[in-house]
Amino acid sequence: MAKTGARATTPKTVAPTTEAATTLTPKTVAPTVTGTPGLTDQQTIDAYQDLYDTLGRAYWDASDLHSKDTIQGARDAVYDIITELDEKELEANTEKFQTLVGTIKATNKALAEIQAQINQITKNISTAGSVLSAINKVLQFTSAL
Amino acid sequence: MPHKPTPFARAPFAGSGVLALLVLFAGCSVSPLAKHTAAFSSVTNLVVDNSENAYRDAVRLHDQEQMVAAVAKYDTDPTWDPHKIQIKHLIDDQGLAVRSQVLDGLKLYAQSLSDLTNSISSDRLDAAAASVGNNLVALSSNIGNVSSGGFTISQTQANLASTVLNALGQFLIGKKVKSQVPAIIKNMDPTVETICQLLNDDITILRRQSHNDYEQLLVQQDSFIRHAQGLSPVERRAEINKLPQILADQQTTDDMLADLQGTLGKLALTHHALAAAAQNNNPESLKDRLGELEAAAQRLSKFYYSLPAS
Repeated sequence: MAKTGARATTPKTVAPTTEAATTLTPKTVAPTVTGTPGLTDQQTIDAYQDLYDTLGRAYWDASDLHSKDTIQGARDAVYDIITELDEKELEANTEKFQTLVGTIKATNKALAEIQAQINQITKNISTAGSVLSAINKVLQFTSAL
Repeated sequence: MPHKPTPFARAPFAGSGVLALLVLFAGCSVSPLAKHTAAFSSVTNLVVDNSENAYRDAVRLHDQEQMVAAVAKYDTDPTWDPHKIQIKHLIDDQGLAVRSQVLDGLKLYAQSLSDLTNSISSDRLDAAAASVGNNLVALSSNIGNVSSGGFTISQTQANLASTVLNALGQFLIGKKVKSQVPAIIKNMDPTVETICQLLNDDITILRRQSHNDYEQLLVQQDSFIRHAQGLSPVERRAEINKLPQILADQQTTDDMLADLQGTLGKLALTHHALAAAAQNNNPESLKDRLGELEAAAQRLSKFYYSLPAS
C-alpha cells in the first residue's frame, strides 16, 4: 500500500506481512458465475480494481471539473461492481464459517466435560476432609459423655 | 527471627525421600502444554478482539460511504428524500453473527485449554488436601480422648498425608488432561487453520473494500469543494484540510488490517506448536519433561511448607 499522501493502490491478493503469516495460503478461487467468462472471481475483481485505480489517477490528473465528474461517474460504476463482488465473497465466506460452528461447539462441550471431571477429583478429596471433620464432631460429642 | 524448619524437622524418617517420590508421582503434569496454551490463549484474544473491531469498522465505513454518496445527490435530484436513503451493510447481520459465534467459540476454546492445563495446581486442591491432614490430627486427638488404645498422628505425619493426597490429586488431574486434551487439540488443528484462512480471506476483502470506500469519500469531498461556490476562504480551507485526513485514515486502517493478517499467521503457527507439544512431538520435549518435574517438585515443596509445623 502506498503511504499517506501518495497515490494509493489496492492490495489485490492475500499478502501476509510477517514471516509467521506465510503458513496461510493464497485464496483458492473457483470459476466465476457472475464475472467475465474465462476469468476466476479473483481475476475479475483484480481487473476491475486495476480499472478503478487507473480511473482514480485519471481523476486527479484531470484539470477541469467536467472531466473529473465524467471520470468519477465511470469510476462509481466500477466501485459498485467491485462492492457487489466483495459482498458476494463475504456471503460465501459466511457459509464456510457456518460449517465450523458445530465443530467448535462440540469441542468446547468436550473441554467443559473434562473440566467437570477435574472438579470432581478435587471435590472427592474435599469430601474426605468433610467426612473426617464429621467423625471428629461425633468423637468430640462422645468424649464429652 | 523465626527459624524455618528443615524437611527433617517435619518428616524425621524420609521427608525428602517421600517428597522425591511424590514428585515423580505427580510429575505426570502438563507444564509444556500449559506454556503453549497460555501463548495460544494470548494470541487468540488479540486476534478475536482485533477481528471483531475490523468487521465493525469496515461495516461502519461502508455505511458512511453510502450515506455521503446519497447526500451528494441532493442538488441533482429534485425529489431527493432522506427517507429513501437505503444503506446496504457490507456484511449482513447474519454474517456478522456467524463470525461472532466462530470468534467467541475460538476464544472460549483457547481459554478452556488454558484453564484445563493450569488446573493441575489449584488453590482448591491445596485447601482440600490440607483439610484432610488437619482433620486427621484432630481425629487422632479425639480418639485418644475416648479410647486409650487409639492411634496417634503427629502434625508431621498429617502433613505428609496431605501432601500425598495433593500429589494424588495432581496425578489424577494430570492423567485426565493428558489422556483427553491432546486428542482434542489435534482434532481442532485443521479447524483452527481453516478459521485463520477464512479470516485472512475476509480481511483481504475488507482491505480492498475499505480502500475503495475511503477513495470514494475522498473524491466526494473533493467534488464538494470544487462545486461549492459560496464557501468563504476559511471554510474552503477547512474543507480542503479534510482531504489529507481521509488519506491518513485510509492508511491507518490498511496498516491495522495488514497487522491483523500477520497475527493470524502467528495464531495458526501457535496452534500447530500446541498440537505438537500435546503429542510430545517436539525437540524440546525432554527439556520440557525435566522442567515439568522441577515444577512439580516446587509445587509440592511449596505446599508442604505451607502446612502448619506443629
